Amino acid sequence: MAVPLFLNTFEQSGLSTWLRESPSVFGFYFILLFHTIGLALVVGPNAAIDLRLLGVATNIPLPPLRSWFNLIWLGLAINVTSGIFLVLAYPSKAFTNPDFYIKLTLIGFAVWTLRKMKRQVFDDSSLSEAGMLARGKMLAVWSLVLWAGVITAGRLLAYTCSYLVYGVPC
Amino acid sequence: MGFPVSTFSMDFPHLHLLLNHFPIIGTMVGAGLLLTSLFVKTEDVGRSSLIVFVVMALLTIPAFITGAAAQEKMVADPSVSNVLIQRHEGAAELAVWFMEITGGFAVVALWQSVRRASPARWNTSAILVFSLVTVGLMARTGNTGGEIRHLEIRSAQERTAADAMMAYFEPSPAKFTRLMIANKWWWAFMMDLHFIGLVLLIGTIGMLNLRVLGFAKQLPISPLNNLVPWGIAGFGINVLTGLLAFIGMPTFYTHDIAFVLKIGAILLAVTTLGLFYLTSAFRDCEAVGPGQDAPLRAKFIAGTSLVLWFAVIVLGRYIQPLQDSIAR
Repeated sequence: MAVPLFLNTFEQSGLSTWLRESPSVFGFYFILLFHTIGLALVVGPNAAIDLRLLGVATNIPLPPLRSWFNLIWLGLAINVTSGIFLVLAYPSKAFTNPDFYIKLTLIGFAVWTLRKMKRQVFDDSSLSEAGMLARGKMLAVWSLVLWAGVITAGRLLAYTCSYLVYGVPC
Repeated sequence: MGFPVSTFSMDFPHLHLLLNHFPIIGTMVGAGLLLTSLFVKTEDVGRSSLIVFVVMALLTIPAFITGAAAQEKMVADPSVSNVLIQRHEGAAELAVWFMEITGGFAVVALWQSVRRASPARWNTSAILVFSLVTVGLMARTGNTGGEIRHLEIRSAQERTAADAMMAYFEPSPAKFTRLMIANKWWWAFMMDLHFIGLVLLIGTIGMLNLRVLGFAKQLPISPLNNLVPWGIAGFGINVLTGLLAFIGMPTFYTHDIAFVLKIGAILLAVTTLGLFYLTSAFRDCEAVGPGQDAPLRAKFIAGTSLVLWFAVIVLGRYIQPLQDSIAR
């Protein structure tokens, strides 16, 4: 696959070069750190909610878990932002890797599931606990599967690239 | 990728000599307490043995790591036999798993005792069997370690049938290392699990800590404890994958200040978890209902715990750029 030239243009920009090459502790690994913290904030509470819906810790009342979604949105905002910077640092590396598109697709489905869970299970205050569980169980299963897929696809990015930067193979 | 790296000098042989006695003597003390509690039937003694096993399982990790680091300095000395070091390392690489399994079973039993349930019989039996095997393996590890320097106890062959049997099961350190790094997909799989463990830990123990601090106050605190075993399981996954990764690239990690500090932060973070459940903080929190504030002491522990787990993530993330920050 020919690598589009505009990726090279991006890579030559001051910001991209700085992110890649800066020796500062606030360079690339700082962004990567935020991406990991964001991951913990998104998937951590989300997995805990999923487990609750699937029958773990059934004595946790469901409705107050709604406020955990704020933390999840915060994590998501951190990861969209840090993710954009990570791609800016290595655009050729990201866009030439099929795994990158798999990861983005899985994120799309996982966030869609998350929104659906928030709206159908937690935003409907007329629901009894049994009603919430009835609507939430399958979503919880999908949520766990999809986020595990996202983490796996994300981790695999480190082992599957074809180009490190434009014209330079991994 | 360049990084402003200052050089740290760390005396790993000293640290190893300081730490390596704990798992040997500690497991003996733990096993003694456990046996006593079985005969005299005192709960407190039994509980003490569990705590001892968990603490030893934790201290075994830095003992193991500093051992691998000390080895590098030792082999530079021509009067030291590399064969004896390899034998010691192989013994340690067998003992460490039995120690961690014993610690794992002890955590389960401790959890049951915190929830005021008496530990399951199968679990007590498992702890007894694994701890006694660990006592033997740790003694062998200590003995083979001592033989590296102490001519007066050294012998060319395995001395007893028990020694020969343990030697049979001990891995070759070089082969173990090669096995971990031979296939990049195996490495990727371990790292994937390490992240999933992280998520489980933060999603459960992290959320409990946040609630104690006052976030999502409409939740009562007590039921959140039922999520914590999943976080501990995540921690277990990470001890396993972390140790295997260390065995795969020991010198990569032992020359990395972020890794050394990370191990320290993990031990402290686990200590705060222990403090929460073993002091009255936990009992105080059990009564905290929806909308109520946790007592200050519990908040202090929860805040410290959050900061430490956060530090673990930060330091873990900086392992890669800070490689070679400790002088070779």
